[in-house]
Amino acid sequence: MSRVYKFLDERLNLTPLIRSIADHEVPEHADPSKHVSAFMYCFGGIAFFILLLQALTGVFLMLYYVPSPEDAYASVNYIENETAFGGFIRGIHRVGTTAAVVMVSLHMLRVVLTGSYRKPRELNWIAGIFLLLLVAGSCFTGYLLPWDQKAYWATTVGVNMVASIPLAGGFLADALRGGSEVGALTLVRFFVIHVMFLPAFLVIFLAAHFFMVRRQGISRPL
Amino acid sequence: METDSPSGGRDRSFFYPHQMFFECMTALAVLAVLVALSFVWQAPLEEMADPGDVTYVPRPEWYFLFYFQLLKYFEGPLTVVGTCVLPALVFVLLLLLPFLDKGETVDVRKRPVAAAVCLAVAFSVAGLTAVSILEDERHGYRMVLPPITGEQIAEGQDLFRRFCQSCHGMDGKGGFFAPDLTQIGSRTNRAYIERVILQPQIVSQTTIMSLVPLSDTERHAVSAYLSRKK
Repeated sequence: MSRVYKFLDERLNLTPLIRSIADHEVPEHADPSKHVSAFMYCFGGIAFFILLLQALTGVFLMLYYVPSPEDAYASVNYIENETAFGGFIRGIHRVGTTAAVVMVSLHMLRVVLTGSYRKPRELNWIAGIFLLLLVAGSCFTGYLLPWDQKAYWATTVGVNMVASIPLAGGFLADALRGGSEVGALTLVRFFVIHVMFLPAFLVIFLAAHFFMVRRQGISRPL
Repeated sequence: METDSPSGGRDRSFFYPHQMFFECMTALAVLAVLVALSFVWQAPLEEMADPGDVTYVPRPEWYFLFYFQLLKYFEGPLTVVGTCVLPALVFVLLLLLPFLDKGETVDVRKRPVAAAVCLAVAFSVAGLTAVSILEDERHGYRMVLPPITGEQIAEGQDLFRRFCQSCHGMDGKGGFFAPDLTQIGSRTNRAYIERVILQPQIVSQTTIMSLVPLSDTERHAVSAYLSRKK
């Protein structure tokens, strides 16, 4: 192991990089071995872990999922009942949505309670709000994909809400649906939003979020 | 917070390996909990989507329930308040929170803005979710209807004549402002009739049907009567 590291380090000069990522002090109040209350500081980390888990299980679901009205339902049914561990993976992906919403909420609550969003961390709070919206958007777009009754009608209701926005609402709703009714184009759009657009933005905002945490350090309760 | 010599004092801990260890343990615990929960709450897969079935009443996931409940209070021209104005206000308020809650202290009692926003959001979300679940239990989604009796049908007929027949046609009598319900029982089921009485807009967003103030028993009587009109 150390020889592999030495080989890479001699060529890529990894040590300063790893120092800057991993070798920083953890303040006492956020160290679970010193204060039990430090568990509050791990909600964000858990939320991140759950998002990773969602990405991983999502990739496995995509191996079988087909985003067309004729095949979507059958492919989810196939994942659920025919593939090895398919139901297991789908079950985790599904429970993961609930867990992500819970952990993100707890993380926000902790930040408010400890006043951590105050100067100089206002921008990181704002990035966090956008992450919350992205997570909610991922939950909503994931709904339609199984193409069952709930999927279809919950999406119809959701898009009708978008349509009620003044001025731009009609255009936005049509853009989301790819027409005036929820149908084949809607399914493909929601699929692509769910697996490409939102994850891409999640990666960008998460990178910014973590970058700012490292730059500014963990906040200290005053 | 950051010191010049990271290898200083013995009592200090560093991200690697100290904190990393806790993070990994926590991640493993979270994974175990998720796996256990995924067995307890099986991911549902309902019937395949049927765009023609307008009787289906979708219920969102629990974390969107509060929002659906909120929308129920803003109807007609006020819809936009529920779908845009309020969410936009909450969004802007959250964005501005760090600039509104400045001070030095973390004592919640001395931070009126943060405390007010936090409590308001938490109570509205929890309250609306609770109301939504209760309403679902009471009617609509998981409706438990009492069995139909002859008495009930007679009462339902009486109520129909008093409250509905001025608009709805029935057996050649009644108004013509609304659809004729002579054979309604063969066209739809009783649960759907209940839902329409409770929430006329589910038929269409532009319906002129008004909300009839019936008690639960009276509504069950009307739906019993109508579902037998075949």
